[in-house]
Amino acid sequence: MVERVKFRVFRYRPEDGGRGIYREYEVPVKKGMTILDGLIYIKENLDPTLSVRYSCRMAICGSCGVRVNAIETLACHTQILELRRRLITVEPMRNYPLIKDLVTDMAPLFRKQKALMTWLIRQDTEEQENPTRQYLQSEEELERYLQFTYCIQCGLCYSACPVVSTFPDFYGPQPLMKAYRYYADSRDEGGVVRTRLVDRFEGVWRCHFAGSCSAVCPKGVDPALAIQLLRRAALKG
Amino acid sequence: MKERDLMLLHYITGIGILVFGSIHIATVFLTYPFQGTIWETTLRFDSIPYAILPVYRNALLAASLFGLLLCTTIHAMNGLRSIIAELIGARKRWVETLLVAVGAFLLVYGTRTILIANALV
Ligand code: SF4
Ligand code: FES
Repeated sequence: MVERVKFRVFRYRPEDGGRGIYREYEVPVKKGMTILDGLIYIKENLDPTLSVRYSCRMAICGSCGVRVNAIETLACHTQILELRRRLITVEPMRNYPLIKDLVTDMAPLFRKQKALMTWLIRQDTEEQENPTRQYLQSEEELERYLQFTYCIQCGLCYSACPVVSTFPDFYGPQPLMKAYRYYADSRDEGGVVRTRLVDRFEGVWRCHFAGSCSAVCPKGVDPALAIQLLRRAALKG
Repeated sequence: MKERDLMLLHYITGIGILVFGSIHIATVFLTYPFQGTIWETTLRFDSIPYAILPVYRNALLAASLFGLLLCTTIHAMNGLRSIIAELIGARKRWVETLLVAVGAFLLVYGTRTILIANALV
């Protein structure tokens, strides 16, 4: 059975300047169709100028993050009929510069990850260049950070963070969570350096524990928890 | 001062406010039976200098009042530091300098008031 659902989509063209407008499109919806399917339908049949970013269509690549009815979500992971609405508002993520329509520039997220050195830091560079053995870990050691490795870097948590909204210098949930992911990794040797990086005015202390980051994460990652654990790490020094 | 030390101080002073604040409120409200009616002693603020001041002529209570002043000032100025940064969207050196100056003024003025109340000056 086909139902007709109205999509109210945010449209923005940088060359026009201004703040953008909302356009409405009527989309025929079948069971199983996602928001991304709806947007692709609009692009293919109603308005080819609509810009939307996607790739895997199965909640893996993290590129289709948008706000649906004011809640951050992956467009390919949200079924239209499950929303039980006749009118669906689709907007770009917040806290990122806007490129066009629903496409945001993720650069602030990656810049902050880099600033927090979110990679494995080790002294044995020679071993890493020419590996001769495995870095073994126990199950407990793995569990200390496992859930944080499920992040697909979609940036939804960063968009949902109310602190980043008002104080853009705040590192934000995803970069801090990723910093903890490496801090908690028994193979990592950058603990001291990383705790020093997060112990800044823009760091862990600005989190108000609103929890919106964890609430919107499509992968069940809990960045708010990671920030609290990172605070403990920063206090220990 | 490191951010973590400041925040640790923020948490400690928060607990301090709870402890010293409770002592302060308890003192004000529990002493009224010995001083007349509650209206005359604690709630009618213009009578406070006459009614409540004798209670504070006690070194321990004066010290707890000073503790409350210290904790409230540090906690409030540090809290304002992050509230203002988040409100204006950036950290400003002059705002922080101003907050240190306001905090210092409050500490000096409050200490003077406690000393006067205790008839120490
Ligand atoms: S923590 Fe969750 S919401 Fe945030 S970037 Fe990773 S997957 Fe996306
Ligand atoms: S298209 Fe890859 S996560 Fe949605």
